[in-house]
Amino acid sequence: MASTAAPPARRVKKRVRNETAVAYLFLSPYLLVTVVFTVGIVAFALYISFTSYNLFESPTWVGLDNYRKALADTGPSGFLRSLVNVFWYVITVVPFQTAIALMLAIVLNTPVRAQQFFRTVFYGPSVTSSVVIASIFLWLYLKTGVINYVFDQTFSLFGAQWTAIEWLNDPRGLFQIIANAFGGDIPSDQWLFRGPSVTWLALMALNIFTTAPTFMIMYLAALQDVPPTLYEAASIDGASKRQQFRSITLPMLRPVTLLIVVLGTIGSFQVFDQVKILTSGGPLNTTLTPVYLVYSEALGEVGGGSVIRMGLASAMAFVLAVIIFIFAFIQRRYIESGTEQY
Amino acid sequence: MKTRQLPIVVAILAMVLGACGGGEAATTADGTATTDGATATTDGATATTGGGVATTAPAGGGGAAGSCMGIAAEEGATIVFSGWGDETEQQVYRDSITRFNEACPGITVDYQPVPADFQTQMKAAFAGGEGPDVIYVDDQLMTALGRTGQLLPLDDFMAQAGVTREEFIPSLLTIFTLEDQTYALPKDWGTLGLIYLPEVIEAAGIEAPTGDWTWADLRTAAQAIAANTDVGGFCQGADWARLAPWAFSHGGSFASEDATQAMLTDAGVIQAATLVADMHEEGSLVTAADVGAGWCGEAIGKKLVGMTLEGGWMVNFMNNDYPDVDWSAVSVPAGPEGKADVIFTNGIGVNAATEFPNAAAAFALFVTGRDNQAAITETGFAYPTREDQLSLITNENDLAISEGGTFDLTRVAFWGSNSGRVNDAVSKALERIFLGEQDVAAAFQQAQEEAQLALDEAA
Repeated sequence: MASTAAPPARRVKKRVRNETAVAYLFLSPYLLVTVVFTVGIVAFALYISFTSYNLFESPTWVGLDNYRKALADTGPSGFLRSLVNVFWYVITVVPFQTAIALMLAIVLNTPVRAQQFFRTVFYGPSVTSSVVIASIFLWLYLKTGVINYVFDQTFSLFGAQWTAIEWLNDPRGLFQIIANAFGGDIPSDQWLFRGPSVTWLALMALNIFTTAPTFMIMYLAALQDVPPTLYEAASIDGASKRQQFRSITLPMLRPVTLLIVVLGTIGSFQVFDQVKILTSGGPLNTTLTPVYLVYSEALGEVGGGSVIRMGLASAMAFVLAVIIFIFAFIQRRYIESGTEQY
Repeated sequence: MKTRQLPIVVAILAMVLGACGGGEAATTADGTATTDGATATTDGATATTGGGVATTAPAGGGGAAGSCMGIAAEEGATIVFSGWGDETEQQVYRDSITRFNEACPGITVDYQPVPADFQTQMKAAFAGGEGPDVIYVDDQLMTALGRTGQLLPLDDFMAQAGVTREEFIPSLLTIFTLEDQTYALPKDWGTLGLIYLPEVIEAAGIEAPTGDWTWADLRTAAQAIAANTDVGGFCQGADWARLAPWAFSHGGSFASEDATQAMLTDAGVIQAATLVADMHEEGSLVTAADVGAGWCGEAIGKKLVGMTLEGGWMVNFMNNDYPDVDWSAVSVPAGPEGKADVIFTNGIGVNAATEFPNAAAAFALFVTGRDNQAAITETGFAYPTREDQLSLITNENDLAISEGGTFDLTRVAFWGSNSGRVNDAVSKALERIFLGEQDVAAAFQQAQEEAQLALDEAA
């Protein structure tokens, strides 16, 4: 009995083993690349974050010094300042770009004339290099640029006077401007309470402009996946368009919304290129972001020339990674609750 | 069927991985050029070792043919030379290489300009052991490469070529000197002068600026221009480099000689900053943005201001962009301690890991040498690094501006490894003052703390 049953079982086992081996063999080129260039480098960076390292002399172990230095630096050009800046950025950019992406997607999902044309045009900013977009905005944001001109013309229509703003060099904070309007002021050492600066808001607008279309495409795809029968059934039941949107569209889009919010949050926390091209962290450090700080410390370019501090830069990068992880985790918990998994 | 596919898959993967392995062997081979026959299997490796083999000729005993700048250069050497620079600068250095080839025909120079992000690329290249043989060196690269032993001390080669440190304008070597050794030689330099528009001066009804002016004279003139004409008086931004001549001529400095103590709350800096702040307050000093220009030079070109502090770059800029605007320059005004200016300079250094140290050093010495400096000066591109050659400058405005390099109190704003952070603290203090956020004392107190931290962390 046992001897007759054994051969097929062994054969099956052997086949499974062979298949696994083949699978790993096919995966091995990619796995090798991942292990060497992702896992390996992250592990090396983690090690570097506990050392003092300048690229050329061998790293010396300093324990938690780098983390302590990064987290204790409450100065106006320190790591905590950059975290506060990026916090303003995330809580402004993520909701706006998600809402705008959804709005654009819904508009483009309705049968309008030249639908394909509008889809292409709206998607344009996302496929253009961020360097190119930033360079264009460099001109738009000039004190003598188009944006000020438009404001000026609009204001003069109503008989009001528009004071030209130097968009990329205006460190006044949002809350500070509000306080000023009521005759108060927030002194410079209270930067925490000044809110995002005018320049920072200008960069946020630029970023919303470039990333919203990317997420629009994702929403558009998801919208087309919503079964039309649901809307038909709802309209038979007498649901209004608004009710359909709230009770069918939004819930059906929930998995995509989670993806968009998480991706948007991660991307916003890592904002770098616009800062590098347009402001270099200025004016008065109001657009200093963690990644820009990591970059400048790692390459010895703080203030235009400094000592290379790879260890400190790595420590900052890991702190940022932990923060992003926590945010993504919370968002997942919050948005996923009550979502059916498809 | 399935079991038969497995050997094929293994064979394919083995070939793929084998090819990768072969590539690695080739790259290690050209790193160690003279290793044994293992390298001969791949074409790439033999091609790169070819250059190495040719260098086996003894360097010491070479006759006149191997001598270049008095240095026994490796015959047949090929050296890679990298620097930043726009098309104009690249042409200047291509011409320099042509002159070098005539003087030292045995050495080939492979010029590889890197116009953007030069410093970043060089740090990465040197960290990967792939740095060019000869490169431009600025304060940032001196910190990253010079202090970590990546650059070759040039003193022995200078002795062989008969070049002394004394022949250069003294402050030009500040950045490149470390523990009494010279790691790069200045390729050119710049400084600031007082730039003005004669027609604005005339319209304001005042005397034209001269080299005898003091900062007080400048202020009076700026007030007159602001009051009597519809353009701005004197243009200056929140920039450490523009404050430097004011501060140095008031006996101030951003940091002590040994770059250990920040000196931003000392009397000299505070007096200078107060003068600037007062002028901004009364409106005789405006920023470029105030008058709708990108920078103060452009404000001059567009005739939006009467005076500013700018450097030799104004000559080409005005010729190209505003050829019809008549402008003049004199040296910077004097302060209570005399005249002082700030020098900007970059050097040329040699990779310590170069295969051809003699040829590379010879090239660096030739490019920064007396004859080549004279030839470059003739093109009007840059100022010569030796004081006795300053007379070769032909443009009148350049001559006036370059005077700034010769004053006793003139210096480079270099304060050790974290110079950038120290200088940035000064710029930010001025920014806060101009925005009306802080008074001079508070702004520079904060700058002092930031600068001191930067100096402490540089050690």
